[in-house]
Amino acid sequence: MNRRVGAMVGSIIALLVLAGCARRTIDVTYPETMANRALLSSIASRRIVIAPVTDRRAEPGRIGAELPKGKPIVTARPVSDIVRDALVVELTKNGHEVVAGPGDVVMSADVEEFWLDAVRGASSTQYVGRVAIAVVIADGQTGEALLTRRYVGLRRRTGEPDSKNTWREIMDTALARTIHDVAVDPDLALTVARAAR
Amino acid sequence: MSTVVRFVAIVILATFVVGCASAAAPTPPRTVALEGLHRVAVVPSGETRFAGVTSSKDPERELDEVLKWLPYKDVLVPIARAVYHGVSWLMNQRENAAPRDVSPGAVVAEAFARNLRASGPFDEIVTLEKEPVGSARRSLDAIVRVTVPTWGLVSVREGEVPQVAGFADVHAQLVARESGVILWEHEEDVTHPDRLALTALKQDRSLSREELVEVLERAGRRLATELLYARGRGQ
Repeated sequence: MNRRVGAMVGSIIALLVLAGCARRTIDVTYPETMANRALLSSIASRRIVIAPVTDRRAEPGRIGAELPKGKPIVTARPVSDIVRDALVVELTKNGHEVVAGPGDVVMSADVEEFWLDAVRGASSTQYVGRVAIAVVIADGQTGEALLTRRYVGLRRRTGEPDSKNTWREIMDTALARTIHDVAVDPDLALTVARAAR
Repeated sequence: MSTVVRFVAIVILATFVVGCASAAAPTPPRTVALEGLHRVAVVPSGETRFAGVTSSKDPERELDEVLKWLPYKDVLVPIARAVYHGVSWLMNQRENAAPRDVSPGAVVAEAFARNLRASGPFDEIVTLEKEPVGSARRSLDAIVRVTVPTWGLVSVREGEVPQVAGFADVHAQLVARESGVILWEHEEDVTHPDRLALTALKQDRSLSREELVEVLERAGRRLATELLYARGRGQ
């Protein structure tokens, strides 16, 4: 009996290690605690529809490759969901109401890049995380595009060759820098402010 | 719940915690209140170092591959090594030299000020070559010191065609003129979004200059963004 239980426990651990940790999965997020009331909060509150975020990356199945074996690095949630959630956090924090529809403005976003590059050095690995999104602000009534912008956030740092914590910190920071660029863009704030209520 | 099931649950939980532990969430940025600051000067400050890139990941190994075919190794190999290192040093000096007409601190400071002028947190923001003294200093409410400790080109992608990008490590410090209190401080690793083939950069020196100036301007914009974002937190 005890031997069978031991074997079962061993199998479960092995499966968890193989299925969970060995998949090189990282949980990239933009937590609410990192969001500010920035320039977007200086305008009157608007009802904003966030259209489904489109993933237009060349390699949507992964966000990088572990060196030297090339094992794919993936995110725990779809990249489009990560970006959409980050936008929701930022807009909500800035006093706007994210609605399913109809709204005063519609924000559409395409994910163009969400990638972690690695370059091996003699004693450590240098990483560059990159998040690029294209954002379109459209009139909520007519659907007319009012503003198109591209935001790119990067994070560069050195770390251990096999460190999921480092990978996650790099991608979290790259995402946060992208969202901060959105939040303090005066043209975007002005466009949202001018939208009819 | 039986002891065995409880034990299995604890083991599973421990495996997740130990094996797949995540990093703690980053700490929120510090807030800054910019009210009462009307006239601000941005000043380049501190030392700066330019860093270039080398074309080969392991040039010594490549050299060894060539030298093993030489006759009279005892005599020729040390001479060949000395010549190789001398030529490499001269080439790196030329290829990895910073553009002489680019002052990194000044470029970052100008881009920083330009961005803040557009967003309007201050009535007046000026860039100065060095820290003001006397009446020029007394007319200011605050000084932003911008430092670029390191800048240059960095390898960003391995492969058949190695790619590089411009980079700048920057630091900004907003100091109240009267009290000397540091109101806001931020440092950031800034990398150019465009990657360039190393060979292309070597063939066209103007390309690397362009890349470097652009990344310094990006660094100025990024610092301005983070100041504006931190200001929001304080509102």
